[in-house]
Amino acid sequence: MPSSFTLCILVLVALAALGLPIGLSMIGASIFYLLVAGLDLGTAAEQLLNGLFNSYVLLAVPLFILAADLMNMGSLTDRLLKFCLVLVGRFRGGLGHVNVVANVIFAGMSGSAIADAVGIGKVIIGMMTRDGKYPVAYAGAITASAAIIGPIIPPSIPMVVYALVSDASIGFLFLAGVVPGLLLGVIFMVTNTIIARHRNYPVEPPVPLKEIPRVAMTAFPALLLPIILLVGIYGGVMTPTEAAAVAAAYALLATTLIYRSLSLKQFYEVLLSSAKSTTSVGMLIGGALVFNYVVTIENIPTSVQSFIGGFHLTQVAFLLLVNAILLVLGCLLEGTTILLVIVPILIPTAKLLGVDMVHFGVVVVLNVMIGLLTPPFGLLLFVVANMTKQPLIAVVRESAPFILAAVLILLLVTFVPDIPLWLPRLAGYKG
Amino acid sequence: MGVGHRLRAWANHVAVFLIATMFVCFLLQIVFRYFFNQPLGWTEEVTILCWLWVVLWGAAFVVRDEEEIRFDIVYGAVSARTRRVFNIITSVALIALLAVSLPATVKYVLFMKREHSAYLRIPFVYLYSIYVIFAVACIIRQARILWRALRGTTPTDSALVSEPSASTGGGAL
Repeated sequence: MPSSFTLCILVLVALAALGLPIGLSMIGASIFYLLVAGLDLGTAAEQLLNGLFNSYVLLAVPLFILAADLMNMGSLTDRLLKFCLVLVGRFRGGLGHVNVVANVIFAGMSGSAIADAVGIGKVIIGMMTRDGKYPVAYAGAITASAAIIGPIIPPSIPMVVYALVSDASIGFLFLAGVVPGLLLGVIFMVTNTIIARHRNYPVEPPVPLKEIPRVAMTAFPALLLPIILLVGIYGGVMTPTEAAAVAAAYALLATTLIYRSLSLKQFYEVLLSSAKSTTSVGMLIGGALVFNYVVTIENIPTSVQSFIGGFHLTQVAFLLLVNAILLVLGCLLEGTTILLVIVPILIPTAKLLGVDMVHFGVVVVLNVMIGLLTPPFGLLLFVVANMTKQPLIAVVRESAPFILAAVLILLLVTFVPDIPLWLPRLAGYKG
Repeated sequence: MGVGHRLRAWANHVAVFLIATMFVCFLLQIVFRYFFNQPLGWTEEVTILCWLWVVLWGAAFVVRDEEEIRFDIVYGAVSARTRRVFNIITSVALIALLAVSLPATVKYVLFMKREHSAYLRIPFVYLYSIYVIFAVACIIRQARILWRALRGTTPTDSALVSEPSASTGGGAL
């Protein structure tokens, strides 16, 4: 007779594989577990309600979604791209560089890779493929890849979710993402340069120097936001959660007052689409809260801890194992599910081995971001394949060098904790 | 406009109202604390309440079946006929599980009438009642999916699931 927990896993896998939404699958499987184990069936509702009600940090999620939707609705993105074109357009493969640099700047105000890919991609893919300058699949691939910088450089929705399951400080997590995010930007530009030289991609006509102040001025409101957020959070004016609301308010002000490009109807649509995204993510979180209760009463994290502990791994060996597990799972599962269900199982072992929780967070989030790029289930691939009307496989092929580059940064961050932890320590982190 | 359309529009208005309220409360909270040095307690509670309600209200009435986040490697690859069989299995299972747990769920929510929220003193039974609404709506929605699958149509035929955008599904990461 298989245990109740084994049956619960089987039901979960079956429901999810047969296409039931993941949040509902987790709720259903957990109720099934409660039923078989003879526990109170009201526990599912109790866990979900108390869990959602008591996790204040999660409020950052809907507000960062709202902020990103607002920025994409207005012309912030357009102006930012024009500014980047002035900066790096003149180099070989110029529009590829523009794509990466725009994502790095955008990363400082957005916490979602999908939102970045949609918002920036909508404009840059058109620019790159006009007159056949770049192959469409390449334009899509570099857009998808550069978008993963978004949640590595603060603010970051996945880091908020990680903070929830690990109790690590959001403030320090955010800071820890800065250097790895910039490194990703550098290595993507190097990759773009190599490919551009090899395939002889065009350079953009250099913009005359006297044009630069004008372009910088029109992009100024967009460039100011990352600074406001950084100063606000680390100057103690607002919590990272409140920063999400400030980002949304700023984007709203900039689009209506400065750029005058938002109608009331559009604003309603933005709010509605943010509400929908909030629901989707909230249901995943709610389902995971219920399912994690089952995992906890079954003592799974402790079992994993004693199982992995039996191998007497070093910290680095353990982190490499985590990378391997998460990269494979990233091909199959949606990122929030990994963060909410798989990562909590690994955290006790990481703590036992003395892995720093902020370092671990950056490693985990990098893995999840790469998972957005790896087939068969990579959300960013779907997004750009859909935007460019390219077959998935073409985008995958063109993304491969960028995925490899990102894995290199992941390994660097895994082996050298000082890379992510340098900045938090400057800000007083004792880890 | 049909009744269905009007109901959906109304449900959307509620979701938009909740998100907008959350947004405004957050701004009030920051402004009052930083500029007037007068922290507000109730805003925190209202935002949390809006968050809980927007998630479950949205799941019950706003997000369409084809906009949900699902694992579509298998589901997206099979024929429409097989997908209908999948729909029948999952909807029957979920209806059964939610229905079996409904009495205990109602009991838990009613039990919470003794507890009140910290600032606004709202009995939790009202705050948490949204879960019962969600569970019942979920049963009805799954029954509709079951009915359609038995009659030979799938809700996801027209818009297959591998099209997430910022406004749908996995838009958060």
